[in-house]
Amino acid sequence: MRALLGLRGLRGLTLALLPFLCLLVAALPSLADGEDPDSPFTTLPVQEDDMMAIDSNHSLEIHNISLTEYSTMPIEKNITLDRPSAVKLICELTTSGDLNSVNVTWKKGDDVLENNYPTSATGNILYTQYLLTISNSKQMGSYSCLFQEEKVLRGTFNFKVPELHGKNKPLISYVGDSTVLTCKCEDCFPLNWTWYSSNGSVQVPVGSQQNKHVVNGTHANETRLRITQLLEEDGGSYWCHALFQLGESEEHIELVVLSYLVPLKPFLAIVAEVVLLVTIILLCEKYTQKKQQPLDGGKEFEQIEQLKSDDTNGVENNAPRLRKTEPAGQ
Amino acid sequence: MARRAEPPDGGWGWMVVLSAFFQSALVFGVLRSFGVFFVEFVAAFEEQAARVSWIVSIGIAVQQFGSPVGSALSTKFGPRPVVMTGGILAALGMLLASFATSLTHLYLSIGLLSGCGWALTFAPTMACVSCYFSRRRSLATGLALTGVGLSSFAFSPLFQWLLSYYAWRGALILVSALSLHLVACGALLRPLFLADDTAVGGPGAQLNSLLHHGPFLRYTVALTLINTGYFIPYIHLVAHLQDLGWDPLPAAFLLSVAAISDLVGRVASGWLGDAVPGPVARLLMLWNTLTGVFLALFPVAQSSTALVALAVAYGFTSGALTPVVFSVLPELVGTGRIYCGLGLLQMIESLGGLLGAPLSGYLRDVTGNYTASFVVAGAFLLAGSGVLITLPHFFSCFSATISRPQDLVTEPLETKVPLPNEKQED
Repeated sequence: MRALLGLRGLRGLTLALLPFLCLLVAALPSLADGEDPDSPFTTLPVQEDDMMAIDSNHSLEIHNISLTEYSTMPIEKNITLDRPSAVKLICELTTSGDLNSVNVTWKKGDDVLENNYPTSATGNILYTQYLLTISNSKQMGSYSCLFQEEKVLRGTFNFKVPELHGKNKPLISYVGDSTVLTCKCEDCFPLNWTWYSSNGSVQVPVGSQQNKHVVNGTHANETRLRITQLLEEDGGSYWCHALFQLGESEEHIELVVLSYLVPLKPFLAIVAEVVLLVTIILLCEKYTQKKQQPLDGGKEFEQIEQLKSDDTNGVENNAPRLRKTEPAGQ
Repeated sequence: MARRAEPPDGGWGWMVVLSAFFQSALVFGVLRSFGVFFVEFVAAFEEQAARVSWIVSIGIAVQQFGSPVGSALSTKFGPRPVVMTGGILAALGMLLASFATSLTHLYLSIGLLSGCGWALTFAPTMACVSCYFSRRRSLATGLALTGVGLSSFAFSPLFQWLLSYYAWRGALILVSALSLHLVACGALLRPLFLADDTAVGGPGAQLNSLLHHGPFLRYTVALTLINTGYFIPYIHLVAHLQDLGWDPLPAAFLLSVAAISDLVGRVASGWLGDAVPGPVARLLMLWNTLTGVFLALFPVAQSSTALVALAVAYGFTSGALTPVVFSVLPELVGTGRIYCGLGLLQMIESLGGLLGAPLSGYLRDVTGNYTASFVVAGAFLLAGSGVLITLPHFFSCFSATISRPQDLVTEPLETKVPLPNEKQED
């Protein structure tokens, strides 16, 4: 009986210890060799931020900057975020000097961040990573990693909300016509779109008059402002605002409203020119004909000449004419 | 008004060439450059590009199918009033289009009305040029047709500038004013009365006699075949180049290079057509065969230099085709029936044009690349060459001027007893 209990207990203990043994076996090679070059962070302790990264609400973004000791210019990377995300920033430094003497710091703007970022080294490459979750506009900005040797080497990650694209050139329309102003951004889902019109520096929201202004958009990443029954006062600057969780961005569109008189003036000028041309041509012709008419008193003379040429044509044509009738039968 | 026995071959004829130059520029240059309006129409009416491109298709179809009407009217009234009316219609169509509120409106105003205007201008003008010249006919026609090439260059940036300054409504108003110059061109077409004209009857009788005229019908068939293959490169070359991996800008540049050699080809062929003795149809066959061969070689060429060389060669020979096409007609049917002949020709050959592009697109969709469509286009051109060989006097050594009045005289000879009629003609 005691033996059985002992056996069961031993089995249970083994079962409990089995996962731990597996982990130990897996970790053994890396403990022996030092770092696995393919994944430098397997030996680093798992941080809480990593656990948050696997959370389904947020997506994990990984961004990388490589620096060498010969980098003279600071390297910048622009990252566009439109929704709260967990971000992993990795900086790697390739240098021939002593890796242990390099001082590594992370800064947000000019403020030094807390000292809990893992650093590891493989061969002559030094890796450092910084994990953070960006969930509001205050956390956006520039994050830099600094490697301090004899000189400071800096890599900067700039976080921005998506930019909007409108039209670079002004939109031209006419009085009484209707026009559509569009704003769109790529791969973004704003919470809200608003339109403003501005005269000078004052921005006034657009959309008060129901029949005149209609705002709609077929996809989430674009907005259209349709203005009907345009008047000349409707021209000017228009702004579209996109509101994201992490901030907002805007774009400027210029609308020019012309009256029909603007193209009509050159049109009438050209019509007048054409009428003038036609008159000149016809008058010239009448004038030259009048000149010829006194000479045409000898019309009979011309007719005699005509008959003469007809005769000669007739003589020439006789021989080929006979030949032609054969193939003409077809 | 006294009747001339021979065309003047100069003098006022050069003013007619000038008029034809501006005419072809204003009709086909506008049509070819209309593409810049597409983007604006698509945005303004929120329609698909395919529906917008119907505007130009309707315009071209009306222009070509309406050509016999224009020709019949010019036979009756002379080219001048017909062309001037055509110019007014074309300008009116554009003007009404500027007030459009829907795509149907554009179909009717630009497609139908302007198309009718263009139908009344192009064929009568080219026929008038053929009337005024006999020895230098090909050169005159070639020079007149260079208007198309030059205007395609000039009008695209001009329309683009008009669009950026006045938007599409204002731009259409100004294009309408530009088209009004067709009226001035029409005013230049002084009527010319030639001895041959007396032999023929009214437009109806002429059309009827043309439809029974064997060589004319064969020529029509040849031209329809040629037309089927002719436009393929203009439509599909850029897409074919992009399939081969070219960027859009160098591809468009290659088309420009082909257009320049097209221009050179027109003038050179015009000069050559007059300088070389014998029927002009032989030259047409030569240029046509060469164009067909170059077209069929397009899929074979892979390297950039080969493609550029082929494009230049194709441009030259296809440009060389065009003036000769118009020069052959007076030799076949005589200057008396030239208006009707040209109109009927334009109408029937347009069937080839309508057929060619969709056929090529269909082949592309079925086979996956443009090889089949280029080869088929080349085959159509070569078939056209084959039909051209069957034209009368193809292998003869006599020059065109002698055979011309003779054709006219033999027509009634075929239908009636020869001897009594000979005396009547004299």
